[in-house]
Amino acid sequence: MIPATDTMWLAIVILGGCLAAALIGLGVTALRLREAEQKISDRDASHESVLDRLQENEYRLRTIIESEPECVKLQAEDGTVLEINPAGLRLVDANQQADIVGRKIYSIVAPECVDSYRESMKRVFAGEAVVYEFKAITLKNRVAWMETHAAPLRDARGNIYALLGITRDITEHKQAEEQARRHQTELARVARLSTMGEMATGIAHELNQPLSAIANFARGCIRRLSAGGMSPIELIEPLEEVCDQAERAGDILRHVRNFVRKSELQLKPMDINQIVRAVVKFTEHEARQHRTMIHLHLDPHLPKVQADAIMIEQVICNLVRNAVEAMEEANSARREVSIHTRRFDTDAIEVEISDTGPGIDEAVIDQVFDQFFTTKDQGVGMGLSISKSIVEAHGGDVRAESGRDGGTILRFSLKLSKPQVSKRERADSIHS
Amino acid sequence: MNEPTVFIVDDDLAVARSVRWLIESIRLQVETFPSAQAFIDGYNAAKPGCLVLDVRMPGMSGLELQERLTAQRVQIPIIFITGHGDVQMAVKAVQAGAFDFIEKPFNDQDLLDRIQKAIAVDAEQRGKDTQRSQLRSLFVSLTPREREVMDLVVEGMSNKAVANTLGLSAKTVEVHRAKVMEKMHARSVADLVKMAMLNQETQ
Repeated sequence: MIPATDTMWLAIVILGGCLAAALIGLGVTALRLREAEQKISDRDASHESVLDRLQENEYRLRTIIESEPECVKLQAEDGTVLEINPAGLRLVDANQQADIVGRKIYSIVAPECVDSYRESMKRVFAGEAVVYEFKAITLKNRVAWMETHAAPLRDARGNIYALLGITRDITEHKQAEEQARRHQTELARVARLSTMGEMATGIAHELNQPLSAIANFARGCIRRLSAGGMSPIELIEPLEEVCDQAERAGDILRHVRNFVRKSELQLKPMDINQIVRAVVKFTEHEARQHRTMIHLHLDPHLPKVQADAIMIEQVICNLVRNAVEAMEEANSARREVSIHTRRFDTDAIEVEISDTGPGIDEAVIDQVFDQFFTTKDQGVGMGLSISKSIVEAHGGDVRAESGRDGGTILRFSLKLSKPQVSKRERADSIHS
Repeated sequence: MNEPTVFIVDDDLAVARSVRWLIESIRLQVETFPSAQAFIDGYNAAKPGCLVLDVRMPGMSGLELQERLTAQRVQIPIIFITGHGDVQMAVKAVQAGAFDFIEKPFNDQDLLDRIQKAIAVDAEQRGKDTQRSQLRSLFVSLTPREREVMDLVVEGMSNKAVANTLGLSAKTVEVHRAKVMEKMHARSVADLVKMAMLNQETQ
């Protein structure tokens, strides 16, 4: 929420109250005033003092409104600006009242915001106090974001005849918000790219396989053709192999591209073991270079989970790399990473990644998923926090603990793609 | 003599098939194995040839297979195939006695040249091995006295000097020496010296 909102509401209540009183007073007593004026000559001093007091009241109200630092305006139901204070004139870049009073407010509302603006006005004229934001294009074509606190004004009979709005420029606030959002997205992308960069060696190796095979098949063909005595039919099989391997290389690249571009979750029923194997293929290389063995203990009878494979790969990749790096930094003698998959509850599975590293300090165990928390010299502390947000976006959760024999255990759960309800239970629930 | 065989061990079956296709283009026999263990189980050490081995494999790695073979005194020349950036591993392999290594993706001629060389080295080794075992059986047929005489003759001593050293008559030394030459199938002292050197190599 925007700060100073309370103050604004307080202001609007006071102003609203004063204005309502004044306008009702003005409206209802206008006729009486005129009568009073006509008859002023034959009236005595007491009448004159009533008139004075009314004028005094109106004057006081005008002063309050005109000296108000925020834009205060009255609008009719069709959007016509009835009154506006000097702060309001400045806000819309008007030089004088005539520039804006009597004109429709929509002339300064950006086209894409007109519909929502009308909607908000409708609500106010239905009797509701409404806060709304809109993009404005001022009389000098300056683009600004504005926020209006609006309340209905009623006449003596209780009919709403105007909207009282206090508006202020929130452009800076909006920009800061936007910047923060962009920053966050950028950070996530950078983190993903850095994961990517570290996986690049693994991917290079992975791509090397089909490329080598293609070169070998092709050269084998050339050699046989140059030597002669080769029937073309004999070349079909190796050439088909070339095609297969080219497709295999293409699949790897597609995978990489998805990994970099991905922004929205695409949940599909997935085999978690297949996801784990795909990750291990890419991270094994790095693990070996750090003399780390990766052991898989995958339950072959797991139902499918509802997951975005690329995202979950990123999570597993992060967790495995964390483990590998932790053991490297601690210079652990035994370096093993074990990945277990297993059933967890009736509606979820669990992936567990454990290592033989130094474990986590109990004092910081609750902080490991915080953004920018890192125990690594070179770390930025994004890996685990991104992993956590990905898992949570899947409806699962992540936990960290120290292993009984040292080391760190990280577990995360994922929901099954279909709730595993037995037929009997289903029948029961229908009949109950 | 048996035809040489190129043994390929690679867990990536497509790569293994492609290497086979390439090597068969120079009319060599090829056998492929999907893992180090499969090779250990299926390899017949009597078959000459060479081993083309992927460094990186799940389960037993190429380096581990190399260790196993060395421990079992299997002398087949190994050409390691390494992926991008595995140079350190390759250096280790060569230090541990690998014949050569080649980085993937490789030039076909480079691989085929290395394979030809490795096969030649294997043939030479096997030839020497046969020679050595023949020599060994000849040596065994010598009496202790004849061996003493041979040792001194090979050192370049004259019959007389040998007789003096061993406290024998020159005549007796002469007889022993003739016996040694006969049993060792040596045509000259120079032959005998070569044989002695070859025999020493194996000890």
